[in-house]
Amino acid sequence: MRFLIIPGVIAAFSIAVICAAVQLDLSPPMIVGDSLQPRVFPILLMVINLILAALLASQYRKESPGKVQWEGPQTWGSIVLFVIFFPITVYVDMMIGIAVVMFAMCLLWGERRILVAGTLALATPVSIFFLFDLVLRVRFPRGLFTNWYYG
Amino acid sequence: MVEALQAMGSVVLDPYLILLILITTIMGVVIGVLPGLGATTGAALLLPFTLTMEPVHAIAVLATIYVSATFAGSITAILINTPGTSAAAATTFDGYPLAQRGEAGRALGIAVVSSTIGGLFSIIVLCIAAPMLARVAYEFRPPEYFALALFGLSMLASISAGGTVRNLMGGVFGVWLATIGAEPTTGIERFMFGNYELYEGLSFVPVFIGLFAMSELLVQSSRVNRLVDKIAMKAVKLPSREDYKRIWKTVLRSCGIGTFIGILPAEGATVASMIGYAEARRWSKNKEEFGKGAIEGIAGAEAANNAATGGAMVPTMVLGIPGSGTTAVILVGLMVHGLRPGPYLFTEQVDKVYQIFGAMLLANLMFMAMGLYASKLFARISLVPLQMLWPIVFALAVIGAYALSSSLLDVWIALIFGVIGFLARRHGFAVAPIAVGLILGEMVETNFQNSLKMFEGNWWQILTQPLAALFLLLAFFGLFSTPIAKWFTSRRS
Repeated sequence: MRFLIIPGVIAAFSIAVICAAVQLDLSPPMIVGDSLQPRVFPILLMVINLILAALLASQYRKESPGKVQWEGPQTWGSIVLFVIFFPITVYVDMMIGIAVVMFAMCLLWGERRILVAGTLALATPVSIFFLFDLVLRVRFPRGLFTNWYYG
Repeated sequence: MVEALQAMGSVVLDPYLILLILITTIMGVVIGVLPGLGATTGAALLLPFTLTMEPVHAIAVLATIYVSATFAGSITAILINTPGTSAAAATTFDGYPLAQRGEAGRALGIAVVSSTIGGLFSIIVLCIAAPMLARVAYEFRPPEYFALALFGLSMLASISAGGTVRNLMGGVFGVWLATIGAEPTTGIERFMFGNYELYEGLSFVPVFIGLFAMSELLVQSSRVNRLVDKIAMKAVKLPSREDYKRIWKTVLRSCGIGTFIGILPAEGATVASMIGYAEARRWSKNKEEFGKGAIEGIAGAEAANNAATGGAMVPTMVLGIPGSGTTAVILVGLMVHGLRPGPYLFTEQVDKVYQIFGAMLLANLMFMAMGLYASKLFARISLVPLQMLWPIVFALAVIGAYALSSSLLDVWIALIFGVIGFLARRHGFAVAPIAVGLILGEMVETNFQNSLKMFEGNWWQILTQPLAALFLLLAFFGLFSTPIAKWFTSRRS
């Protein structure tokens, strides 16, 4: 039954989208005219996806997709760092979030020299920040560092 | 024609643009030699940096990254048996064995010369074919555009890596992503779940940064402990007269193949290099040398992959249909900078179009110079530790995603699509169809709706339009020719 996992996930997603689509507002017939209601096109797409999921399942049944190798701690750790980046950015500061994630990612991926990882984690966001702020005139979201910098 | 040449020539009178192309060529070569950082990721990461530039300069930067990174993949393919970009995968077949025989400089010289000829040839074709195609495209109405978009999606699904069904699913998912936001004609909100920042739909840039850069970061994380064999090289050698005699036919053939494949809406450079290599082998008198260091193999693959870069720009600029992941990013760049892709670009802003072509021409000459004189240095860059390179890419990606509309939502979108792209690739789905589906989504839906209005709800009348019917027929054959052929073969046997 392993061959059903991926097509099953895709089919479940498609059904969820169809359920969400049928709840979309209807447009007055005067505006829609001869074309389709806004909900029809996404439903049509997801029906195609369901057919494709069935085809994929039959393909996988004939030729097993093969066991996908489980990634090492670096990959899953990096995804966890993406998640950690969210609260740091929202509640502390985006630049600090980037520095923390960069530092942790360096160490997680095998960098043994803490000083090198620290320098990289500090120098990169600071230099990119100044480039975007001074040259490209991009304002970054308010936080601990940006509050101090912007005043 | 004279105006076009004048516009192209004006590039050399703009010192700022020349400097920009020079810097970007260096960056493109660096991006090309760094493992995992291909032209698409590089262009997606650099797009936010072009925000304050003039449109021509911005697109020249992206196009330069495209051509130079496509070439640079061959440097690491030859010296460390690791293609810097997927388009250089075919170069490893003979480039690395030749380098192992102590002829790395010769292998690189052939790669440089073939790539340059391929690139220049395709730009000449681009200059001739694009305006001609634009004249045809003036006649396109909604049914033709709808059929053309479907043709583009079907070609991408049938040719690019990942298998037809999985690619089609990616394309459909991308088209669905394009439905998020307010529906263009009625204004009805779709799949926004109360988030009004999504009213105008998903921004392309953060989605692309997620799909290409963030997902590549996660893919590379599993390769962090990989060891590579580095081959020593004294200097790049230009091909000898004997070499030229052996490869000129291969180069010319691959120029044609690469440009043609590039023009088709599909994954240009990678497919082109594979076919270029296969054809070089098929026509060669020294078939037994292939896989052991045949110079025709290097020339065939390299001329084809760079020829595809100019070819892929034809549908991108003329029809608004990207030929590959990188041209999808360039297409977004055109839109962000107010250059609306399509046939009208060739009447309303023709000078800008030819300036972009001129910049691509210059970029080809610059990467040739760099390839000849600095390959050794660039090859060293490829050995930069991944644990230092990819955290920098993370920072660039996050800030790049934020910078376009100063929205934190875009950062979350980039991160989410990074994980989606990684999971998709982990299970054999390519991410390029998702990106192209997202770009073509609005084109598909809007033109389908308009066609229905045109034909008073009779959708089948789309088939009565000759060009639309032709595109739909091509799409059908693109998708079903292989299963139909298989079915016939099994019946016969």
